[in-house]
Amino acid sequence: MQGETGGRSDGEIVRAVLAGDRERYAVLVERYRDRYARYAARMLGSADAAEDAVQDAFLRAYDQLAQCQDPNKFLGWFFLILRNRCFAEQRKYRSQVSLDAAAAVPTSDRSDVGTETAERRRALQKALMELTAEQREVFVLKHVEGLSYIEIAERLNTSVPSLKMRMHRAYDRLREQLRDHA
Amino acid sequence: MTQHEFDPRVKQLLDGELTLADLPAELRAEGEEALRLLAAVDRASVSVPAVTWRVMAALERRRRRLWWLAPAVAIAAAVVLLLGRPSTPPTTLSATVVTVRFVLVAPGAHQVSVAGTFNRWDPSATPLVRSGTADTWVATIALPPGEHQYAFVVDGARWVPDPAAPAVDDGFGRRNSVLTL
Amino acid sequence: MMRTGMILGLTLFATTLDAQQTIGERLTGRVPSEIAALVQELGGAAASRGLPVDPLIQKAIEGNAKAIPADRVAIAIRGVVAQLDSAAAALRDAGVASPVDTLEIAAGGFAITAGLRGRDIGELARTGRPTSDVIVGLRVAGTLAAMGVPREETVRLVGSSLRAQQAPGELLTLPGRVQSEMARGATPAQAAAGLARAAAAQARHGPPPDRGPPPDHGRPPRPLAPPLP
Repeated sequence: MQGETGGRSDGEIVRAVLAGDRERYAVLVERYRDRYARYAARMLGSADAAEDAVQDAFLRAYDQLAQCQDPNKFLGWFFLILRNRCFAEQRKYRSQVSLDAAAAVPTSDRSDVGTETAERRRALQKALMELTAEQREVFVLKHVEGLSYIEIAERLNTSVPSLKMRMHRAYDRLREQLRDHA
Repeated sequence: MTQHEFDPRVKQLLDGELTLADLPAELRAEGEEALRLLAAVDRASVSVPAVTWRVMAALERRRRRLWWLAPAVAIAAAVVLLLGRPSTPPTTLSATVVTVRFVLVAPGAHQVSVAGTFNRWDPSATPLVRSGTADTWVATIALPPGEHQYAFVVDGARWVPDPAAPAVDDGFGRRNSVLTL
Repeated sequence: MMRTGMILGLTLFATTLDAQQTIGERLTGRVPSEIAALVQELGGAAASRGLPVDPLIQKAIEGNAKAIPADRVAIAIRGVVAQLDSAAAALRDAGVASPVDTLEIAAGGFAITAGLRGRDIGELARTGRPTSDVIVGLRVAGTLAAMGVPREETVRLVGSSLRAQQAPGELLTLPGRVQSEMARGATPAQAAAGLARAAAAQARHGPPPDRGPPPDHGRPPRPLAPPLP
């Protein structure tokens, strides 16, 4: 809530923390913890893993706060830290992930979602876990987070054509996975 | 595995650059399959409220480890003694009360009190008095069973957890001592 | 008199705001008005979810006493709510009969503050002991975690003690006994493991002969967990 945080901008808070007001960092964490939890959950296939990843990323960001080039662009900088953490997790647990994904995937809490929809959601998340991390990421950023190719390209510092190539391969692999396990 | 590849126009549909109506008749079924795939995307938000206090607690733990490198502080020792429980079973609805003695060795202190969940964290509610040596401060109070958190308050402003007691994060970047009766 | 209608209306109004009035009474004059308002808002919502409100009030008063800035206190209070929600969810998942006792939720919340996770709370609740004993078990588990006993060892020790039918008085001696072992040079984990083995042996051979069967406190019967290997 803006009122509680005093309406301070990200840049002001980062500068305050760097100047020694460590406790103020909690305001940033509270402000953004959920926003990237979804990205992490879809990337890692588990809400628990997402929680750990977001927690680690905030700790890492705190440690490296002095290296944040532009305090006003904390979010974009933080995202890259979280992204690295998610990719590192992938490499570590590649063999486990595809087994755990189906079991641990967070299904929607909404009670109006029928079991058939929940099943299809689970199936797609499981299929997503079979993609490479890069393919899964572009799919999640576009279709879960709702970013445009241009926005994704900016965030990941890459080109739209290479993103589209990655995404189109992802579409095909998803189709293959869903058909094989229908 | 070309049978699994979507037609490039269906991929454009998936990208949001074409609509189903834009596709030729022979691609409609494939287009619908693609849209069903997108419909299965879970966009539900994920809430992780625990992250906030866990991050701040972890940062505080790191600071405490570094604290040991700092010059020695004035507080030398603190002891909380349980003076035993009454042997008779409780006769009232509220359960047995336990007498607890708080002891703090605080050289140079002018005023010491203990504040916690049992006295609404009021630094003036439970003052300790000097006992024996000038550095030893003592207070004896009766507490109900349950989990109590507390800290010593030295000279009205310095909050000091009990070094000998178990401690938990207080949510404000410091530690509270724990007394479980 | 014309005032009768208004009084009735106010009575209804007051009833629905009961929880929030209590909060208001306890906080007025003790904390800044914005914090009181936040606790009323969060406390009312928490109460309707079956959560205890006292931990929120305590945290607000504590923050004020320690001269913590209001926005930090607000975050801490939200943290308390999150911990209570976690504890309540864990207890429900463990099959604790609804509505879950608010003291049990508060005890679980404390254990989470001390570093335990939801699944640890659930494991202790699944020992099949009556609510009053689980409450003590959760408080003791939180205390052990606060002493540095790792989560696994904490759950093993308190869990096996509960399954060994230890009375609350005995459970409460666990932190002191772990402390004694640590004074002799054991690490917190070693101290807890040693006591857990003793409790497991007790569970295998049944409670001491001078105690009767555990009292049935009206909860549905639940099979005791198998003894530890």
